[in-house]
Amino acid sequence: MIVEITIEPEYVETHQPLPRTITNQAGAVVTFAGVVRGEEAGLPIGGLVYEAYQPMAQQTMRAIVEDIGQRHACLFVRVIHRIGIVPVGYNAVYIVAAAAHRAEALAMIAAFMDRLKQDVPIWKVRALDTTGQPLPPLP
Amino acid sequence: MRILFFAHLKTAANCATAELHVDGEIDADHLWERLLTRFPELTRYRRSVRFARNGTYAVASTRFSDTDEVALIPPVSGG
Repeated sequence: MIVEITIEPEYVETHQPLPRTITNQAGAVVTFAGVVRGEEAGLPIGGLVYEAYQPMAQQTMRAIVEDIGQRHACLFVRVIHRIGIVPVGYNAVYIVAAAAHRAEALAMIAAFMDRLKQDVPIWKVRALDTTGQPLPPLP
Repeated sequence: MRILFFAHLKTAANCATAELHVDGEIDADHLWERLLTRFPELTRYRRSVRFARNGTYAVASTRFSDTDEVALIPPVSGG
């Protein structure tokens, strides 16, 4: 399984080609985008600010993908997590999972997102209002 | 050892990193005692915070020494 993990402070183009080595084997390519919504705690917002303990977050995401891959064999997994300011409507996290069949790729993404939200040291630290001004820190 | 603070803990500690000298090896309880002496504002977060030692979550048997990088990990909220 090829694993690509990226933590990125800038916008990332998500329509990147799959590695050539898997294109003959992958019968299913599943993508998931976690998008910043326009409200936080019931208030309208313009974006969120994310922070990460980057070395550990990168290592933890890779370990999670490899662990899930033991049960749900995938050929390729790409995870891109944004940090810094992510405006409403933009991806905070974007995942591509490719496998021979859809069940493994779907299971990879579902399981990964559950564990991301438990163990990966990344935080939403602050919301921005609709003019881009910082709101009080998130709890 | 180097201590790293993230998210609201950075605000509570009023810094992102700190240096703490320890003799020999100490466990998590002892480390908390040392931290709270210097950063009493962290007291209310003790139950919700996990330690990571050199980039790996600490477990009950983990011991911390002066050369370690120790991160205080509040509940995560990525995605």
